[in-house]
Order: sequence, then C-alpha cells, then structure tokens
Amino acid sequence: MRSTHLEADGPRFTLPRASSAAPARDGRVGAVVAAALALPGIAAAQNAPESAVLGLKYLYYKDYQPGLDRIEVNSPSLYLLTPLGRSWSVEGSLVVDSLSGATPRWHSSISSASRMEDHRTAGDLKITRYFRRAVVGLGVAYSTEDDYESRALSADLRLSTDDNNTTITLGTGYTDDIIKPNPGSSVASDEAKRSNDFIVGLTQVLTRNDIVQVNLTHARGRGFYSDPYKFLDRRPSERDQTALLLRWNRHFDSVGGTLRTSWRSYRDSFDVRAGTLGLEWAQPIRTVTVTPSVRLHTQSAASFYVDPIPGTDVPPVVSLDPPFYSADHRLSAFGAITAGIKVVVPLGRSWAIDAKADYYEQRGEWRVGGDGSPGLAPFKAQFYQVGLYYRF
Amino acid sequence: MKPSNQSSLARTFATGLLLLAAGALTGCATVQPWEKGNLAKPEMAFDGDPLQARFEQHVYFSKENASGGYGVGGGGCGCN
Repeated sequence: MRSTHLEADGPRFTLPRASSAAPARDGRVGAVVAAALALPGIAAAQNAPESAVLGLKYLYYKDYQPGLDRIEVNSPSLYLLTPLGRSWSVEGSLVVDSLSGATPRWHSSISSASRMEDHRTAGDLKITRYFRRAVVGLGVAYSTEDDYESRALSADLRLSTDDNNTTITLGTGYTDDIIKPNPGSSVASDEAKRSNDFIVGLTQVLTRNDIVQVNLTHARGRGFYSDPYKFLDRRPSERDQTALLLRWNRHFDSVGGTLRTSWRSYRDSFDVRAGTLGLEWAQPIRTVTVTPSVRLHTQSAASFYVDPIPGTDVPPVVSLDPPFYSADHRLSAFGAITAGIKVVVPLGRSWAIDAKADYYEQRGEWRVGGDGSPGLAPFKAQFYQVGLYYRF
Repeated sequence: MKPSNQSSLARTFATGLLLLAAGALTGCATVQPWEKGNLAKPEMAFDGDPLQARFEQHVYFSKENASGGYGVGGGGCGCN
C-alpha cells in the first residue's frame, strides 16, 4: 500500500517572497517577471531552484470514538531542497512517527480493542536534472517499522512548452514491502507485497489567474494485503487502483484571495469507489496568510467487507465461502468531513512559521450516493501541525 | 480479479487519457510571462507545503480506502 508524496508538479513553497507579499502593480513588470521566473513549474521549469529550502514540522495526531481513545501519534519531520549548480537539485525528507494507543480487532468494537505501540522512521531522496524544456527526476524512499519495511524507486519526466504554460508529467514507481507481523499479536508469518504505479499528468495555465492540473495514476499491486492484526482478515492478493485527480487554483484580484479546489475520483479492484472534494481559501491579511479548508470524502465498501450482526458489535459467523473477509471499518462504506485552518506568518525575507489545526470525522450515514455501512461508531480525529521554513 | 473490474479500470484509464489529450490539444489563450504575477504567488502552488502534503496524504491513506492521484513512488507503510 502506498503513501505517495513525490509530487507531480515538483516542489513549490509557501515561503513568502518580497515580490509576492503585495499584489503586483501594472508598472512593475520587472518585479512580476522576476517573481514568475523564480518559481519552478510555472515559468522556468527548466532551471534548478535558485535557493535552498529547509523545513521543519512537528505533527500531533489523535483519533477516538465514543468511549475509546484510540491512536496517538507524535511526529517530527525534516525537509531539505537544495540546488546543485544551475542544472541539478536534491530534495529529501525524513520523518519519525511514534504511535501508541488501542485499536479494535473488528469494526468499532471496544471490547476487542488491543493495545499497540510502534515506531516508524521514513525518508525519501530525489535527484532532479533540469534540461531546456524537460525535467527528469529519480527518487528513492525507505520506511521501517517494528513489523514492516518498505523500499521504493521512482522516475518522472516533465516536459514543458516554450511558453511554459503547459507541462506534461509522466512517471513510474516500484515499491517492495515486507510485512513481519509481531508474533505476540498475530499468527501470520512474514509476507511480501510489490506494486508498480504510473502517472500521466497535465498542468495548464488557463488565464493570468487560473491554473489547472489533471493527474491520472494507476497502481498494480501483488502480494499480502490482509491486516495481520484484524480478526480473520483475508483480502485478495492483488489490488489495482486508479485515481483521477483534478485541481484548479484561481486567484481573485478583487479580494486578493485564492481558491484552491480539488476533486479526486477513485476506484479499485476491491470494488471500492470513492470521491474526494477539497476546498481551500488562502487569504492574505497584511503579511499573514490565513487558509480555512474543508474536505469531503465518500466511499463504497470493499466487496468482502462484512457488517456486524445487527444490534451487536459482533462480526458474523465466518465461512470459507466466499474466501475473502474483512471487518476493518476502513473498508466500510462511509462519508468523512475534515475542517481545518492554517496560518502562515513570515519572519523577514527568509523565514516563515506556520500552524494548522484539523478536525476529522467519518460516519456511515454521511456516505453520498448510497447507503453507508451500519453498526459502526463515529470515528473522529484531530491533527495539529506547527512548522517553519527557511530559504537560504 | 473479476473481468468486469478489469474492464472498468481500463475504461477509467482510457477516459482519463482522452481528457488529458483533449486538454493538451485544445490549449488556451497564451498567458505572457509578464502576466504571471498572480500565478507566481505562493498560494497558487499546488503543493506549497511539502511536509504538510506528505503528512496529510499519510493520514488519509491510513484511515480511508482511497489513495493516489498525486505522484509515484512514495513508499508504503504498515498503517493500512
């Protein structure tokens, strides 16, 4: 399974620049062009970034349901992007997650919850070569936990038109995972999982205030997809996933704000269909930028997901026909809402600090376009991020 | 995998490719470099905060059953 984070349109940053802190005036063409040329992916995809960026972020996450505090995560992370001459750049990140808490073995059953603790260390590194109209990137990623190890390779190519208004992205990745279930909590033996994924994307400048992106990704995975800690969980050994992502950013001159809209349509060979809508409004107020956001998600259940016996929190009798079975609530049909707010404060020309808070909730009855899965408790989470970026 | 799933996945992929091709071919009125001041604003970037993007994709990947659309080769985890 994947947690993709090598972005299709390359790195860009919210660190404010002197030239973009205030709306550009018509007479200041030079400053505007300079600002445009300074951003990779918009006007100068063929040049390495002009300065380096260092980012630090601390993340706190907790989730819960009525009557049960579930997982708590503390997670510091580090990011670095640096040019190497005019034609190369290196980008990497490192994150350490510390998880602890309790998680149900089936559905949202409190009586089935078992204690867990885990540590995860993950890193990625990408080297990028810039040509006149093309950018080529090669990346590696590694993640290790007490009971899981993942290695990934990726390659992508971005081609831009002469006016830099159109960029096409092509990319592929390979992931090799090893699952080593903790013998104290699972009877499963060591297993493996491998997947290939592909991306085709188009980024298009539409007007002086509109930019859109369309990405199509497809992943083909083979191997062990079951959850070794869930009750009798047995999932197919192949999984194909397709996602179509549309993103549209529009700047409004009248108020100086920017609306960021995204829509993702998803389907996979577990028979899950999902749709995810994201809306963010970035409003500069003096030098500070405030961004409220909302995200709506809906998904159907996997074909082998089983509901609890009505009126109980007990899974139904297990048989070997059909051969696949899961009482994992994440495979159920539900809808989810996230509401968040972010504040970015620049400190001088090189530093910016940010803070973000999100509230998340998923419920069966919130599914759009069909019935949600019955018999599950609402699932809620809060996550908080504080960070800083330094450009040098 | 059932044949119907395979064909529907293939259909989605083909539809997406057509959309991409149509977008690339039809093009748009060219925006000149000196008109890109607003486009260059940090809030117009698709993933302006790389650590935030990594974290949030990781959260949703581990709590929902859909993923993908953003890139390739991020690596897996035992969280799902």
